[in-house]
Amino acid sequence: YDPECSQYVLLCANRTCLSGFPGQSPYRALLETLELTNTKLTLQLINDNNKVRLLLELYRLQGNMTRVKINELKPLKPRFEVPDVLINDPPTEPLSLLSQDENGVVLSLGADSQWLIVSAKPFRLDIMEGREVLLSLNSRGLLAFEHLRIPLLTALANGLKRTSTPFSLLFPFSFSPPQCFSPALSIGLHEDGMWEETFKSHTDNKPNGPSSISLDFSLPGVEHVYGIPEHADSLKLKTTDGGDPYRLFNLDVFQYELFNPMALYGAIPVMLSHSAQRTMGIFWLNAAETWVDISSNTGSSETPQTDVRWISESGIIDVFIMLGPTPTDVFSQYSSLTGTQAFPPLSALAYHQCRWNYNDQEDVAAVDQGFDEHDIPYDFIWLDIEHTDGKRYFTWDPHKFPQPKDMLQGLVDKRRKMVTIVDPHIKVDSSYKIHNEIRSKGFYVKNKDGGDYEGWCWPGNSGYPDFTNPEMRAWWASMFAYDQYEGSMENMYTWNDMNEPSVFNGPEVTMHKDALHGNWENRDLHNLYGLYVQMATAEGLIERSGGVERPFVLTRAFFAGSQRYGAVWTGDNTAEWEHLKISIPMCLSLGLVGVSFCGADVGGFFKSPSTELLVRWYQTGAYQPFFRAHAHLDTPRREPWLFGPENTALIREAVRQRYALLPYWYQLFYHAHHSGQPVMRPLWVEYPQDTATFSMDDQFLLGRDLLVHPVTEEGGRGVTAYLPGKGEVWFDVHTFQKHNGAQNLYIPVTISSIPVFQRGGSIIPRKARVRRSSSCMEHDPYTLFVALSPKRFAQGELYIDDGHTFNFDKQKQFIHRRLSFANKALSSRNLAPGSQFITPSWIEKIVILGASKPSKATLKTPDGKENLLEFEFDASMSVLTLRKPGVNAGVDWTVVLQ
Amino acid sequence: MFTNCSLGHCHIIVAVVLWSICVDSRKIRGISLSYKRFYRERKSFLCIDGSKMIPFDQVNDDYCDCMDGSDEPGTAACPTGRFYCTNLGYRSHYIPSSRVNDGICDCCDASDEYRSQTPCQNTCRNLGQRERAEVEGQTRVLGERLRLKQLLIEEGVLTWREKQAQLRDLQRVSDDLQTQLDDLRKEEARRKEEADALREREIGARETADNSPTSHYRPESPISVFKELDSNRDGSITVDEVQAKLSPVQDEEHALSEDEAVALLGGAHRVDLSRFEETLWTSLRTGDSVTIKGRRGVPGSLADEDPNIKAAVSAAEKASADLKRVEDAYETVYMEIRDLREKLSIDYGSEREFLFLHDQCFQLKVYEYIYELCPFSQVTQKSASGEVVSLGKWGSWAGPPENPYCQMRYESGEPCWQGPTRNTMVMLICGTETALRSVKEPSKCQYVMELQTPVSCQPALRQRGVHSEL
Repeated sequence: YDPECSQYVLLCANRTCLSGFPGQSPYRALLETLELTNTKLTLQLINDNNKVRLLLELYRLQGNMTRVKINELKPLKPRFEVPDVLINDPPTEPLSLLSQDENGVVLSLGADSQWLIVSAKPFRLDIMEGREVLLSLNSRGLLAFEHLRIPLLTALANGLKRTSTPFSLLFPFSFSPPQCFSPALSIGLHEDGMWEETFKSHTDNKPNGPSSISLDFSLPGVEHVYGIPEHADSLKLKTTDGGDPYRLFNLDVFQYELFNPMALYGAIPVMLSHSAQRTMGIFWLNAAETWVDISSNTGSSETPQTDVRWISESGIIDVFIMLGPTPTDVFSQYSSLTGTQAFPPLSALAYHQCRWNYNDQEDVAAVDQGFDEHDIPYDFIWLDIEHTDGKRYFTWDPHKFPQPKDMLQGLVDKRRKMVTIVDPHIKVDSSYKIHNEIRSKGFYVKNKDGGDYEGWCWPGNSGYPDFTNPEMRAWWASMFAYDQYEGSMENMYTWNDMNEPSVFNGPEVTMHKDALHGNWENRDLHNLYGLYVQMATAEGLIERSGGVERPFVLTRAFFAGSQRYGAVWTGDNTAEWEHLKISIPMCLSLGLVGVSFCGADVGGFFKSPSTELLVRWYQTGAYQPFFRAHAHLDTPRREPWLFGPENTALIREAVRQRYALLPYWYQLFYHAHHSGQPVMRPLWVEYPQDTATFSMDDQFLLGRDLLVHPVTEEGGRGVTAYLPGKGEVWFDVHTFQKHNGAQNLYIPVTISSIPVFQRGGSIIPRKARVRRSSSCMEHDPYTLFVALSPKRFAQGELYIDDGHTFNFDKQKQFIHRRLSFANKALSSRNLAPGSQFITPSWIEKIVILGASKPSKATLKTPDGKENLLEFEFDASMSVLTLRKPGVNAGVDWTVVLQ
Repeated sequence: MFTNCSLGHCHIIVAVVLWSICVDSRKIRGISLSYKRFYRERKSFLCIDGSKMIPFDQVNDDYCDCMDGSDEPGTAACPTGRFYCTNLGYRSHYIPSSRVNDGICDCCDASDEYRSQTPCQNTCRNLGQRERAEVEGQTRVLGERLRLKQLLIEEGVLTWREKQAQLRDLQRVSDDLQTQLDDLRKEEARRKEEADALREREIGARETADNSPTSHYRPESPISVFKELDSNRDGSITVDEVQAKLSPVQDEEHALSEDEAVALLGGAHRVDLSRFEETLWTSLRTGDSVTIKGRRGVPGSLADEDPNIKAAVSAAEKASADLKRVEDAYETVYMEIRDLREKLSIDYGSEREFLFLHDQCFQLKVYEYIYELCPFSQVTQKSASGEVVSLGKWGSWAGPPENPYCQMRYESGEPCWQGPTRNTMVMLICGTETALRSVKEPSKCQYVMELQTPVSCQPALRQRGVHSEL
């Protein structure tokens, strides 16, 4: 992939053009067309240069959001509006008109003295709180909307001229400099690239001419913006002045570059802005190729301001302004639109062992055995493309995997699971059932001439099912039924790779933009394809279990809303230290925009890691949400025990730390599912006023309570972790040493160090009995780590369910308890009175950090019994260990210290 | 992955367990007999590492008190603990405590899953029987295999001796040839010098006589021919000498009759040099009737004219040919010695037990490929299309220090696309036949083969005992 897009006429960002004519928007609001209903305000906009009218719709959405929609008033044909991403039609709240004159209107956005001001000439929107502008739209006049047209020759042939349509209506942007790319700018009768353009040897046809859209947003007081994954870049987005904009266009990128705004496998057009005063979000709901330009006045003496411009190749402007004001609010707002993280089966949060490829059944059995011999837990072993019969998905290589059910049963016997890969490219082969059915049902994506679109991928010549078609998705889902996917069993889950989609011989290794999904061009919905593949696959896994079991599907390509269907990973990274480091901001960025279940290939996909890098990657991956080791076909083996006993022990310890912490991970994912809060968080999310944290991306929080600063430097002798929170304390989880908050702490490290700190004031449940797989630990007792705040207070939770079904949701079968320590008493109280679940798990041990020595500890249970607990007190570290409370984890209890 | 090799097959030693000596009042779960002494029922229990004293009723109470895990031998409570599978009737062993009550049957006596939902059967009896049968079978087989191994070792010893003898013989031949070479080199030089000297002299004479310095024709003189024919050197040529030395031009095999000889001598039975020049010499010079036996070409050449030179040249040529022949022989022997030395320098095992593998090749077809291992030489892979790819050339033994002869490394095969060269690790395992058992490619272009051979069989070690059924 060549990040230089100079050959790509369309959306080749020429900054002189993009900056356009600030302040000179040709758009004017026609206030006389204003209509206000219970749910929305509508208003026409006119481009004074060409008289083309647009329709503006404004919605005040429940939960402190504003939706701005702009479409052509009368498009030649409907323009694409993204379906299936919003979980519902977002509920509205009434807008009320506060004032109106010839310059514009003022609308109330509710009680918080928030106003929406519509200025007429030039058209502009401002969202105010009190006297403060939170955000302005089109304040730089970069609103642009290329309306659909009939090619001149066609128009002439059709006698359009006789209807005396002014030319200016056909070509509204004739003022634009000709060297510019198309978005609303570069229009002329003979403009190259307007109706057809070429990229390398590929030709792209645009039957209705260029159709791009653009809008600018100004954020006064903002210096930090985040999000718009997927890019291999820092957490804090950079200004794009003088460089390429951030590009959102799902692509299969070979050996991607770091600190580069180039497009990668997935696209989530959501940006968060943050300042010490407020957090907001902009959700640009458009699935076409999209570019985001960021500029900022940082460094000048003015009030800081960040300006953002979004450009998409087609579709409409449909943007959701999430007004926060807190990070938590923005997460709730965004998840109310696109849904929350799928709640994964507990085992999916454990360790995954993958490689391209485990060669045959014997190989799988040997690796499985290797883990037991070296006493390293794992839950999933993965099979990449070589397991199939000639890259025909849903099949098995008859020589290498002659008895897949025997193999899967072998894993069942160890309470372990498997993932097989199912990619969306389908081998064109008349003896392949899947292909024949898709072809006969007409489910393939079509080329512009109506024939089945074909491209080159792993199997050779391949078709691409039209996953945008709900019938196609339903059929695809049905292929995961146990009687359809031969050799599959309950403990086999799915991996969707190459779903950008990857087309080896396509432009930029993806599908031609003029390929057709029903009536829509790939151009309109390209970034949605991967979401649909994962959606259909997850649905298949749910259906095969009769709706009982939670699915687990990993995807490489994604879009806004993909969080509802499973996990994503950062694609084909490289075994280099910089790639280990970038895994942190990449997953943090995804977490901010809904996708909590994120991970990077542990060890690095391309190339072979040094032993030190591999160990450090395990240590880092153990504290990232999706924890999977993976390796390229051409690399030497790197199962954890191949690097000598010392390194085996280091990797074992990292994996064991992950397993011990699974109750906390599971609880975090429950919250991500329940309320959309990210699992892996930048520090500023919890310390929004601490400006020192705003650009940090070498450390992160898990939930609120664990701070992780993995060692990602080669030969690292120490790390400097920032412990936030003035007046707070943090406890080293390994040594229990207490440190004050609001300081940079230098931590000397050895190769075994994984610097992790627990926040004083929190309670974290762990399972200390690490076993072969997470399933084996299901009924094990809990150890509670109570880290006291300086005020001798702590709070935490305990969430328990069956770990794999939807019963937690459908039948409220779960335990959710509040654990709190206050006034020298630790208690467990029910947080979900409507739920019920019985667990054999009990409280094995309570470790209180920052405690003083009591004279006695008494356990009180609801039956009125009181038992004295034995305890140990380590005065040097102020650690109190209560021996074996033994009480069931699902009941009320209190431990009183005296 | 490739560092440990099994030292042959396990052997069950039937241990007689005397249960009668176990007199403890209470059974402590998860400990072996030898540890019973640590768990005598008392008021308190001392962690085996001595770190802590706890009340005895906290032993196996599902809470870990001792750092060394010794208080919870029968539960999963201690992360460092271990559980003893007694496995009566089969082999007893330890499992990590984390495998107690984890829903997976680990001990064949089901003792590890005493509180889990998973129904585990006691399979020790069956396993024990099966293993004993197997072991008995294997013991027999092992005996056979070890016998085969002994044969192969002996074969190796013989081969080794043979090869050593061969080497000595070759060395001797080589030495002989060396001596010969020395002589022959001298002889050849001498002959050459002689011939050259004669020639020069004769040419000098000719040049004076013929007064034709430019002539490159160097005829033989009548004197030299006379001398050649005058076998008894009495200064005359007789009929006998003519019959002995001359033959008709057309038929060299045919002897001249007495009459014909007399006729050639001008009717006389004996001629002197001057008479010879008038009679026989004229006939020889025309060359159409008779010729000197064994002589090519027309008389009149230098040799014709001077048998001395002729003889000298011929002798030089012969010496040269002899030298060449011996040099070739020496070269051949030298190569043989080198090959043999190379072969003998390879480490064939402590008893040269692997020597017999030399010069053998073993094949195995896996999917569409035919793999061929030629021990101590090379490994190849032949595809269905007939393309042969080198998977490595003999490198070295690669087993762990305690058992180096259980793995062979073949390296520097054909390079991989975008990668290193192919290499192959051959694991040697015990078996009756010597044959290639499996071929795998765990990482791309890194192959692992199993070669079974009785030579890799080891006499049964005394291993962990198996409880007999009492």
